[in-house]
Amino acid sequence: MAKHYAMAVVVAKCIGCQACTVACKFQNNVPEGQYRTKTPVVGPKGTFPNVSMYFLKEACQMCQDAPCVKVCPTKASHYNEAGVVLVDVDKCVGCKYCLTACPYDARFINKDTGAADKCTFCWEARVSQGQAPACVSTCVGGALVFGDEKDPNSEIAKLLSKNKGEVRKEEFGTRPSIYYIFQGVK
Amino acid sequence: MKRRDFLKGALYGTGGTMIALGGFGTLTKLDPKKAAAAEQDALSTVFSTCEMCTSRCTVALKVKNGKVVKAEGHPNDTSTGGSICARGNAAPSLLYDPERIKKPMIRTGERGDGKFKEVSWDEAYSYITEKLKNVQKQYGGEALAVTSRVNPNDIFFRSLARAMGSPNMFSHEATCPMTRTVALEATFGNPYIGADYGNAKYIITNGRNFFEGIHVPMVKGVMKSISNGGKLVVLDPRFSVTAAKGEWVPIKGATDLAFIMAMANVMISENLYDKEFIAQYSVGFDKWVEAVKDKTPAWAEQETGIPKDKIVQITRDFAKAKPNCLLEYGWRTPWTGNDYQLRRAIMIVNMMMGNWEVPGGYFRKKGAALLKPYPELQQYAKSLGGGMVQPAFPKPVKGRIDGTGVKGTPGQVIPVPDGAVGQIPESILTGKPYPIKAWMVYRFNPVISMPESERVIEAIKKLDLMVTCDVYMTDAAYYSDVVLPECTYMERYDPMIDNTGLTPKFQIRQPAVSVVYPDTKPAWQIFKELGEKMGYGQYFPFKDMEEYLTKQLAAAGLTLAEMKEKGFWVPPGMKPFFMRGKDPKAPAPTATADQKIQIFSEELEEATKQGIPEYKHYPQPENGKFRFIQGKVAVHTNAGTHNVPVLNELMPTNTLWINSVSAGKLGIKEGDSIIISAGKYEHKGIAKVTEGIRPDSVFTYHGFGRISPKMTRAYGKGINDNKLIPNELGEIGNVVSSTTFVTVRKA
Repeated sequence: MAKHYAMAVVVAKCIGCQACTVACKFQNNVPEGQYRTKTPVVGPKGTFPNVSMYFLKEACQMCQDAPCVKVCPTKASHYNEAGVVLVDVDKCVGCKYCLTACPYDARFINKDTGAADKCTFCWEARVSQGQAPACVSTCVGGALVFGDEKDPNSEIAKLLSKNKGEVRKEEFGTRPSIYYIFQGVK
Repeated sequence: MKRRDFLKGALYGTGGTMIALGGFGTLTKLDPKKAAAAEQDALSTVFSTCEMCTSRCTVALKVKNGKVVKAEGHPNDTSTGGSICARGNAAPSLLYDPERIKKPMIRTGERGDGKFKEVSWDEAYSYITEKLKNVQKQYGGEALAVTSRVNPNDIFFRSLARAMGSPNMFSHEATCPMTRTVALEATFGNPYIGADYGNAKYIITNGRNFFEGIHVPMVKGVMKSISNGGKLVVLDPRFSVTAAKGEWVPIKGATDLAFIMAMANVMISENLYDKEFIAQYSVGFDKWVEAVKDKTPAWAEQETGIPKDKIVQITRDFAKAKPNCLLEYGWRTPWTGNDYQLRRAIMIVNMMMGNWEVPGGYFRKKGAALLKPYPELQQYAKSLGGGMVQPAFPKPVKGRIDGTGVKGTPGQVIPVPDGAVGQIPESILTGKPYPIKAWMVYRFNPVISMPESERVIEAIKKLDLMVTCDVYMTDAAYYSDVVLPECTYMERYDPMIDNTGLTPKFQIRQPAVSVVYPDTKPAWQIFKELGEKMGYGQYFPFKDMEEYLTKQLAAAGLTLAEMKEKGFWVPPGMKPFFMRGKDPKAPAPTATADQKIQIFSEELEEATKQGIPEYKHYPQPENGKFRFIQGKVAVHTNAGTHNVPVLNELMPTNTLWINSVSAGKLGIKEGDSIIISAGKYEHKGIAKVTEGIRPDSVFTYHGFGRISPKMTRAYGKGINDNKLIPNELGEIGNVVSSTTFVTVRKA
């Protein structure tokens, strides 16, 4: 059975420290002022002293029905053999259709390459070599879990069997591979 | 187009956009696809110890074609689980920053106008030598003060002062955890006490902000505790990230001791404490019973603003978890003049829970001396040796300027390695008890890290010599006569790092690459060469750091080669060791003379007439005024990283947090320009209007509002908290951070 790589974000464990943000920049040579992932704060909500706050990691949602792939006129945006959405830099003409199509605002034009850019799950340098993505490996709070969702023995499959994983903007029907677990979040 | 909207906005609500403001070009511009492919071929790993802050996490530096391209956590270190924080990840950004200082410099203009000339190392050493010899001749060697943030090169830096005959050696600690150190020494005989967060079932923290003042192994521990269903209670006037992960109790500032004493009161009146433990392991408990007998929850409610029922409930639940419960002893702890008594009371209440030398409790760090008496642990009892044998230093003619070490005075309990650094500007400006005429600082930036920045600058201007050794043209460097460029931790060896906790742990810091800027040097080499120029070569009896490290390691039966290969050493097979882990009646001696926990401290009684903690009421802000508090943020280190390109890009500036109701009364809206006034000093800033702070307090993140224009990214951005805080020495010489009141108005 083909693998399906997925990531779970255990929101209660994310402390918003931005270790993932910086690890990604160096892992992927992301240019100054640009980010493939970032973890902004949500809140504080409520009224003093009854307030709450959490952080939400943002990045490509690795849709299984990805609008960016559909609209790409050159097939630069594509699924690889493991279902990971990637951009072929050599095929990308920088038309920005995918930027507009993405419901998650996850894409940008890389200042250095001129091509559409986004999270790759660190496919080439890490995941295809058997390592976890850079953000997962450095996560200080232990909020990020990555693996093959279809392997029932994987950490992520076990986690998702016990906890409800929510996807962002489910109504778009994009079938993301990033699951947010809100259990324990106030 | 709103595509980039998610990139904008407030990280930590700083008010600053997260898009880059400053220019830098540290990242190699490569086609990502090709870069990834190439990296697989040529990536090598150098294990070392991080120095983006001073928590000393083990790291794996990834090197490609002679460049550090990435930093990661050490994959074999269970304490970090292979994680490092944002700052640790930003290592290459510091290493290749073109704004680092690259050559030794001597001031050519007036102090503070920023004019310097680049000189050779020999010129810099000669200049310092001549000036110091003049100071020594005219005022005596004691007119030199040296200050550093505690670090492995202190032994060399301080040798310069010792050789000159100066007793005036200071760490930064009086601005940070010194009150805690004093409390731990008085209670346990030494300050080498750790906490086992991971196994705690209930953690209460007074202000300690685990999730923004990041120490990776401690974050892992606290997160493990919470994830296993542990309770976290956070007493803080501000809603920190830590508060967001637990139950926030917005306590009035400077009243924490009232809460702690009321906890003790409840524990005693309701019989919630471990009487057998107190009887077997401690002395002086009766005096504590007396001290807290009128410190009822009703009294504490008046002081702290926390309802008495809440105090009782927290105390009961906390006691139910005993002994696997922790009342956090704090990290940056110079809040009030008698802060050391808060830390003492915290540890006494902990001991009432019997949380000593058990999982989920406090423990002594397990160095070789502690392990040797246990036959089954002797095999793990290894310790590092000295790297050199120095001849005796001349005995200083005078005592220290801060009275450290003087029996029968508060100076008796000031830790000798630390001293009261706040005394330095006073002695420079007043000449009392005698003048300081030369100040050398290493990895320490008194202009930003000490209260009353303008007074510190005024003091520096009066000196005959000011020398700064650092990696950036810091605010202190900017006002210095000589600036000595250290290379970064990625380019040098340091002496061995002893990070012992529940087991011994030794770590190496080693170069991953040769120096990026050829005229920068390791600190040990700078101080050794300067010492030799001054005629003090005998105090630096080693050739280089490899030789030094080899000697240190030989004492532990280890070699430099294996340390370089593995990065760190813990005794193979040794499990975390708690003296009372198997038998709650087992001996668990402290380092005091009678080996017992000093609930009453004879030493403090002699030094400060307060052998048992006494409550001191500090005023609360009057209507229209606010208590000014400060804190750490996860992406920056104190005054250290604000100019590091990638970290500056994440958070270039700070804001003033003000409660929405208080802001409304002042007509202040989110993002408004404001003036913060502390009376003598004022500061411009931007308001962050929030529900996450008490209406009587305002808050800002520390380390911003930088004064040195040579750090272009951090210069002038945000609020420098220490501009507003007056330099006041606490009862045992600590600076006082949290008793300043300010007013706020629209600019």
